[in-house]
Amino acid sequence: MKKDIYEDFLKIVGFEGDDIPKSLSEWRTASEKLGLTEEDVRFATEEWIPQNWDITSRGVRKIVGAIIREAIDLTKANEYKKNGVKIVYGIMPAILTNYLAIKESGGDRVFVSFPDLFLVSVLNSFFHKVNPYLETAETEGGISYGCRHCALNKTRLAARMKGVIPSPDVIWTWGFNCDEGPKTDEYINCYYNPDWNVEITRIPHDTHFGEIDDENRERVEYLALQLKDSCERVEDAIGIKVTPESLSEAVKTWGRFAFKNGQLQYMVATSDPLVLDGNTPTLAALPLFTPFNTGLGYMEEAIDILTKEVREKIQKGEGILPKGAPKVGAYFVPFPNPWLNTMFLENGVGLNFSLIIALSKRQLKPPTYKDPYMATAEQWLRMSPGMNMGLEVEDTIEKVGASKPDAVVMGFFDFDRWLGAHQKMVAKLVEERTGVPHFYLECDFYEDRDYSPEALRTRIESMCQVIKMRK
Amino acid sequence: MSKVMSELAEMARNRPIELKELKGKGGKVVEYTGSFIPEQLIYAAGAEPYLMFRGGEPEPPDTVLEYMLRFMNPHARSQVGFWNLGLDPVTPFADLVVAQQTDCHVGRIAELMEYLKWPVYKVGVPSDWEKPHTREYYYKALGKLKTKLEELTGNKITDEELKKSVVSINKINQALRKMSELRKADSPAIGGSDFILLNHYSFFCEPEVTASKLEELYEELKEKGGVFPKDAPRILLAGRIVAFGDYVVPKLIEDSGAVIVTEMLDEGVRHYRRQDVETEGDLIRNIGEAYYLKRIPPCIFQPAWKHRFERMQELIKEYKVDGVVWYQLSFDEIYDMECSCIIKWMDELKMPFLKLESSYEYSREATGPLTTRIESFVESIKERKGVI
Repeated sequence: MKKDIYEDFLKIVGFEGDDIPKSLSEWRTASEKLGLTEEDVRFATEEWIPQNWDITSRGVRKIVGAIIREAIDLTKANEYKKNGVKIVYGIMPAILTNYLAIKESGGDRVFVSFPDLFLVSVLNSFFHKVNPYLETAETEGGISYGCRHCALNKTRLAARMKGVIPSPDVIWTWGFNCDEGPKTDEYINCYYNPDWNVEITRIPHDTHFGEIDDENRERVEYLALQLKDSCERVEDAIGIKVTPESLSEAVKTWGRFAFKNGQLQYMVATSDPLVLDGNTPTLAALPLFTPFNTGLGYMEEAIDILTKEVREKIQKGEGILPKGAPKVGAYFVPFPNPWLNTMFLENGVGLNFSLIIALSKRQLKPPTYKDPYMATAEQWLRMSPGMNMGLEVEDTIEKVGASKPDAVVMGFFDFDRWLGAHQKMVAKLVEERTGVPHFYLECDFYEDRDYSPEALRTRIESMCQVIKMRK
Repeated sequence: MSKVMSELAEMARNRPIELKELKGKGGKVVEYTGSFIPEQLIYAAGAEPYLMFRGGEPEPPDTVLEYMLRFMNPHARSQVGFWNLGLDPVTPFADLVVAQQTDCHVGRIAELMEYLKWPVYKVGVPSDWEKPHTREYYYKALGKLKTKLEELTGNKITDEELKKSVVSINKINQALRKMSELRKADSPAIGGSDFILLNHYSFFCEPEVTASKLEELYEELKEKGGVFPKDAPRILLAGRIVAFGDYVVPKLIEDSGAVIVTEMLDEGVRHYRRQDVETEGDLIRNIGEAYYLKRIPPCIFQPAWKHRFERMQELIKEYKVDGVVWYQLSFDEIYDMECSCIIKWMDELKMPFLKLESSYEYSREATGPLTTRIESFVESIKERKGVI
């Protein structure tokens, strides 16, 4: 019987039993819509995924599968829109609970997604094929190559230009970190698609070193007001009211998932021998950053399976590197370029946890406020991207202390004038205070056209040699 | 150069020395960045303001790479870069550096300043400007700045003092406005290079003196009449900033036979057209409204680009513009995106458009091709106008 590569693909990404024949046709259609050829699916199945993801683990397969299910759903957005479903997009980083609340309130009447993050995650992590989107944005969409624009923003524009996604009823766009993210939505509206309806929420980066953002009541109130105001505008745009109950439920859902994911992160980060590469837990944290229109059921099940496997491996003393091998933290493990992690592993070093996902004591504190907007605002201001650099350094010192890595690699955000701009300073300050060596690797989190394996191999090898010698 | 311009240039040049002397006598020196920090407040507190906006040299931006991503615009990096090189005459003795918090470039540079233990004070400027509560945020931020300045100087900012400085700055705006009107003539009496220089000097010199010198210059120019050929291509220069010291591009444009008749720059020039501050009522609020709303929304505001293009069209009409030069700093990502929109819209207007990008690299090797591009653009406009 002729080998069906689409079926093989579904098998290696955790689809099981009757689910495979049921999903096969949908997956073929979805992959075609995403611009993936049969050869791309073969490459992913036989080379890219086995090389970069530990598919011997059922939990890992299921995590990848949960993302693929959501990708299939994303390709139906045009159809949803034709059928009157309201389309709400967002961009990262955002306060996710708002989107979860919109979905909670609207159910099947609303579709929520951060399409760019999803597309880049799926296309590069599993197929190494986001470049056609980037090139479309550059050659036909007016976004220049040379200015180091963000791959997510290019992908959002290109996905619209290619017709992969429809224009939304509203994109609730955020400028909590970078300027380019929200301005890209203004760009799409001005340059390509006047129907691209934008609601923007921002807060200036104006707190000083020594100030605690989430304890500044005036700041929390302003952000809460911004959230409430934008939420009302989004409600008007889609004709769906977000109830306080939905918001509370969303906060609970996010909290439950964050806790579950945090457990996994912590187990992996502190395991010796290292039980799992850092890509997988970071990928599994995707629902902390982007809403899943299909819900969190598949991902939660996958994390449960993986957590159980990880626990068993720790008990048996099994790992992917020898006991005592150096472990390295990163600002944010670049899972859309999974080969980076693989390259560290090949050099005997585990890149095993993301500082930005690890939670500090401040982030684990219960909310001070009962009002859901105030509580949400406070929570955001406790997150690394929501605070001034001085406070982020304090939190990072705590996280490095808790995870005890042999080194930390900063970088990977060369395109981001906010999240990437300060990392050299953070590295210097945290190294000074903790004694843990920090390295800086200029690289792109989402794409690798300028930082190929060939270009970075020597640098990573040297870095690993130094880390091993110091250990 | 006219005598008045030379005098203003001399005063601007001597300003750091003057500040050092004032500091020695117990005065307070307050540096500030951008176009959202009202110097009126600093004067009213009895302190001496000094706008940080040097640029145009390649070495300073590179010195901050030890701390900072290299894909930040060179102007933002220069603000620390000159200090790193020991070429910043004021920061080492400044009592306060007030940094506007508008975009990521200036935001992270302000954090670098904090890292270097400069006495930084931040003023938040929300970019989602169409919502009433975001304006209130900025007005409140100005109120907090007032308190900070009062604490620094020990002087209460009275309405009387504030009104005095508001009136002085209004006079500067008025003089610049009148001078700008002269640029509408077929043969303008002053070009863009000099007009930008006047703006720069006006940030450094004592306001009453500046206003009076600008009035004097206006009368002189009015008397003298046009100095550019009547058929010289008329250019609108747009972008983020022509920084203090970054004069190569405006000069090349005018040396190529064109005249810059108007500008649409977010920083480094006064927003003299509409930014007069009302002198009655709540002065802080009046200042806030003038700085936040009575201006062309800067690129970082959202939404801005359609408004900005509308304003650009008005300028094109008012100043009979023949071509637009977009002067962008390298890696200034949102200006780069705006430029793509403007190229598209200018194309629809059939308006000649030239995009230039600068990393402040003005070596002989870099200036040669830049000159050729500008000359070709000017020639093409001349051809279009039937001048050649």
